[in-house]
Parts: sequence; structure tokens; C-alpha cells
Amino acid sequence: MAISSATKAATDALAVNRAPVSVGAQEVHRWLQSFTWDFDKNRTKYSTKYKMANDTKEQFKLIAKEYARMESVKDERQFGSLQDVLTRVDAANRVHPKWNESMKVISNFLEVGEYNAIAATGMLWDSATAPEQKNGYLGQVLDEIRHTNQCGYINYYFAKQGQDAAGHNDARRTRAIGPLWKGMKRVFSDGFISGDAVECSINLQLVGEACFTNPLIVAVTEWASANGDEMTPTVFLSIETDELRHMANGYQTVVSIANDEAASKYLNTDLNNAFWTQQKYFTPVLGMMFEYGSHFKVEPWVKTWNRWVYEDWGGIWIGRLGKYGVESPASLRDAKKDAYWAHHDLFLIAYALWPTGFFRLTLPTAEEAEWYEANYPGWYDMYGVVYEEWRARGCEDPNSGFLPIQWFIENNHPVYIDRVSQVPFCPSYSKGASTLRVLELNGKKHSFSDQWGERMWLSEPERYECQNIFEQYEGRELSEVIAEGHGVRSDGKTLIAQPHTSKDGKLWTLDDIKKIGCVFADPLKAL
Amino acid sequence: MANIHDNPKRDEWVKKIAGLTTLAAGHALLKDFRVKHMNPFKTDWSLELDGQWIECKIEEKVALLKRAEFNDAKFMNNCTCGANAQEVADKAVAEMDACTDMYKAERIHIDFRLACKPPVMPVNVFLDTDRLLGTKLMELRNTDYYALPLEELRKVRGVKVITLQ
Repeated sequence: MAISSATKAATDALAVNRAPVSVGAQEVHRWLQSFTWDFDKNRTKYSTKYKMANDTKEQFKLIAKEYARMESVKDERQFGSLQDVLTRVDAANRVHPKWNESMKVISNFLEVGEYNAIAATGMLWDSATAPEQKNGYLGQVLDEIRHTNQCGYINYYFAKQGQDAAGHNDARRTRAIGPLWKGMKRVFSDGFISGDAVECSINLQLVGEACFTNPLIVAVTEWASANGDEMTPTVFLSIETDELRHMANGYQTVVSIANDEAASKYLNTDLNNAFWTQQKYFTPVLGMMFEYGSHFKVEPWVKTWNRWVYEDWGGIWIGRLGKYGVESPASLRDAKKDAYWAHHDLFLIAYALWPTGFFRLTLPTAEEAEWYEANYPGWYDMYGVVYEEWRARGCEDPNSGFLPIQWFIENNHPVYIDRVSQVPFCPSYSKGASTLRVLELNGKKHSFSDQWGERMWLSEPERYECQNIFEQYEGRELSEVIAEGHGVRSDGKTLIAQPHTSKDGKLWTLDDIKKIGCVFADPLKAL
Repeated sequence: MANIHDNPKRDEWVKKIAGLTTLAAGHALLKDFRVKHMNPFKTDWSLELDGQWIECKIEEKVALLKRAEFNDAKFMNNCTCGANAQEVADKAVAEMDACTDMYKAERIHIDFRLACKPPVMPVNVFLDTDRLLGTKLMELRNTDYYALPLEELRKVRGVKVITLQ
């Protein structure tokens, strides 16, 4: 019987490259590489100004079958403990209510990042020409699919087994009204999959994964445990075991372009922009979720940030890449200033805008206020007094007729949104490093909060056209916008978001918001 | 009740789009709409909130008219105005290859997208051309990225400073 040309080609190749006698993963990997698949003439679908070398190696050297065995064992452990032991001990109901709300944000948002990372690493597979390097990216594509499912599963588990499901389930339907969504999409989506393919790798692997997965995915397990959450460490530590491979992929991406002289013209610029892009959102948001979204504190966010972002990543990791011409980002110094106060500034605004969220926020208790003041001297005079005033005006009670955003309006403290990062800021009531810059181009005004973002916009204005909620809903009444943006629970009237986590507290409805008569106004129109 | 998804501006355009009966008319409307409302350097902001939705609806209609009027060969090789797609693409790439100024390069790239984004140009030609143009633009933009101080960069970009703190 005649054999197909493919079978003949495989038979001929095997005659030259004898199959290994053992099934050791490393030996099989070496054998597979000996086929010297020729991707040298590979023409990527994606734009990149970098030339990736054809002989780049991969550090993990995993073959797909070995990979599948390893990951299936991890999944068995993870889902086994979640569905057996943790369900039997009612673990999801033992989580502190404040932390339950934080996980609505953390896992839903990380799911978006993991989902976009699938596309990002697929793009890198397409762009690379070295077989080993492609193999490394292939492993990561599979990882990211797994992580997307894991993040989705966390919210599913909390919704099914735990307390207050609203927001764990179907958070994405509120994406048009919540101001945190757009900044998250900027880092987790645009940053990972738009622009130069190698720049995307720098955003995802060199900064997102090598820099921020330690403070995000590892630190979150400590905060979760401290607040009674046994599910998140089970899942997130399983995710983190794969992140090392991703960091190694980021390292090898840099190695693959290092010998191209042209790369030196772009690499540190792309790294600086990628770092600023990622930190501008993660630094305040992670600090806010950990400190304000928990009852039991682990350590001040500024210490976590200094240890993992400034010293471990900015010093050691980037230092190791120094021989390839990589320098610590110039913006790292400014980021360090933000690490102290930016999350406090953001929580003030986030609480003021609570009806637009898909989670419940809680004002700091007296005990927590002491912790903040002890760790951030000056906190009380800036933030503590404001929270006391809001509480005294009944901000948690639907009958009070008071929304904290009114305090900003009454005291002439306009809230702006940075065009590039999409992070809200209030320059007249802030201890962070943000400064207001407003520019007009062809009749449209744009606000920025720092020099790095302003330069990114001036260099590529067509990349940062995202409209913010003040522009989108100018002149619209708040309860109408919440209803239109699906920010209500299954009864069609009670808000998903609430300004407290008290089981005895009354829940706000659309009617409570409507009677206040809060109307969106674009602060840029007043300038 | 008018809202962000359902409002008189969109209704007006839905009627206008429904009235398109030929590919030539659809192409002309789409080209004009993109230049006026989808251009990153536009001065008319009247459709800032609804422009992308309306553009999508025009594209849907143009794609249907194209399917009705083009045979298979034209579908793969011609723009909706009838021009040979590869010739249009080659011209844009040649112009970009000769360009050494990042501001001119970004105009070339933006103009190409406004004029040719599918369904105007067949996807197989458009995407590869977009890759080539984008690669060159990124090379120009990222070279000497910090050469100009922000004050100079604002002037070059032609922005008006409203507030600087």
C-alpha cells in the first residue's frame, strides 16, 4: 500500500534522527529540536520593529505531553480540595465580607488579563522564528487558557458557595459604568495585545508577570488567608507556579532581540512606557484592594511594593538583563512616590463613586484608621476626617440622601480621568504625585496626571481615544445610567454596588439614587 | 427613552444606511463618514459617542452590497471603489518606505486605514499592508523618543495648553 508523503517525510526524518530510548522529558525535547524545523522565513502577521533571533533557546524545555501531565495534576489538587474539603467546611461563608467583595474585583479583573494573555502569547508564537522560543510561548498559551478558567472558577465558586453572589456572577455586564474597568482594560488588554508584538511581550512578560504577579498573585494569597479565604490561595498559588515559565519567556524575548543593534534604539523606551502603563493602574488599585478591601491587615502596601517592585524587579531582575542593554525604567522613581499615597487617593474617589461599581465598599473602622495612621502618618488629617464626615452625613444609609461624590462637588474638588491610564484622580485633594495637565487638540480637551502619560499621548494620540464616563454620560442622571449599564441585582432595582458590607444595613435601590438627582458633568467643560 | 445605545442620532443614520442600494453609494458614504467622524485628527466631534456604532452599521451594509455586486475574483482582489487592491497597497507601502518623518508617516498610516479598512479593501491585502506600514511607523516614532522636551513636543503636535499644574 502506498504511504502518504507526510508519512514518508516522517519516516525519512526518523531515519536521520533516531528516537530516544527513554521517555525523559529533557531527552525528548532535545530530540524534537534536532528536527531543526525551519521557521527562519516565517512571516509574522504582526507589526514589530524588533528582529527576533532564529537560534533563541528556551529555559523550561517542556514538551506538550509532559506539560499536560504536570498541569492535570495541579488541576486535580486544586479542584479536588475546592470541591471536597473546602465545600464541606463551608469555607466560602467564613470569608470576611469585605474580602469577599475584593475577590469580585481581583478575580474578575485577572480573568480579563489571563484571557488577553492567551492572544498575546499566540501573537508572540507567530512573531518568533526560533523553534525553542516558539515552544516556550506555546506552553504559555496553554497556561493562560488554564488561568482564565481558574479565575472564572473562583468567582463561580464564591457565587455558588459563598455570600452575596451579586458581582461575583456576571461582573462584566457593568463594564460600561464602572470607572475601574477602563484602566484595567488599558493594562490587561491594550497593553498586552496592541502595538508592537515585542512591546506587548515587555508589557505582559517583563513587567506584568515578572514585576506585578508577585505583589498581585502571591501577596493576594497572604491577604486572602488573613481574611479567612482558603479558596484563593489554593487557586492563585497554582496559577503562580506557571508564572515562572512566563517570566523566563520574557527574559528570552529580550535575549532574542539583544543581538540586533536596532533594538537598542527602542528597548528601554518600550520598557519605560510598559512599566509606567502597568504601574499606573496596579500600584494604586492593588494597594486599595488589599488595604481597604480587607479587615485583617498583612503589611502596608508600600512595603510590599518596595520589596517586590522596586528592589526585586527594578533592581535584581532588570539588573540581570543589564548585560543585554536593559536599564531600570526612568519612571521607577516617580512610581515609588505613588506607592505611598496613590491607593489612599484612589479609595477616596472609588468610595465617592461607589454606585458605579459591581462590588460593595466599606469605610475604614476606627481600628483600621489607627492602622492607617500608624503606617502612613498624616493619613487621618487627609482622609480620616473626610470619612468621618461622610459617615456622619449617613453615606451608608439609603435614607440619608447623601452620596460622597457630592462632597467633592460641594468643596470644589473636581475628579478628572487620565486619558492614557484611565485612572481617576483629584488634583486638588490628593497626597499622591498626580498633577493636572489639560491639553486641547482640534477642539477636544484631554486631561493627564503625569508627564509619562502625557508624552505617550503626544507621541501616539490615536492610541488613546478611550472616552471616560464623564464624557459618555454628560448630562445624564446617575440612576438612569446605572439601570442602563446593568448595575442592578436580579430584582431589577437594588444596586449590585453598596457603600457597606453590613448584613443588617439597608441596601440602596435605583429610587434612592434617583431622589438625590445626581447628574454626570464633564469637569473638562468647565476649563 | 433616549440612551447611549438607542438614540435619535443612531436612528437617523440607520434610516440613511437602509437607503443605500448600490456599492458605489455605500463606498462613498463610508469613505466620507470615516474622514469626517473616525479620523483621529477630526475637528467635528458631533458623533464622538455614536460614531463607531454607526461606522459598523455602514460597514455591514457595504459588505452586503459588495457580496451582491462582486464576483469571486473581484471580491479577493478589488477595493469597493473598483481599484486593484494590491496596487493601492503597494502605493501606500512605497510612500511609507520613502518617508523619514514620523508625523508624515502617521498620516500615511491613518489615511490608509481610513480609506481602506475592510470591507473597502479585501482583508488578505489590508492586514499585511497594515503590518508593513505599522512596522515602519513604530520604527520612526520610537527612535529618539525622548529627544524633545514636553514643551517642544506639545508645540510640534499643535496642542493648546489649557492647564499645567
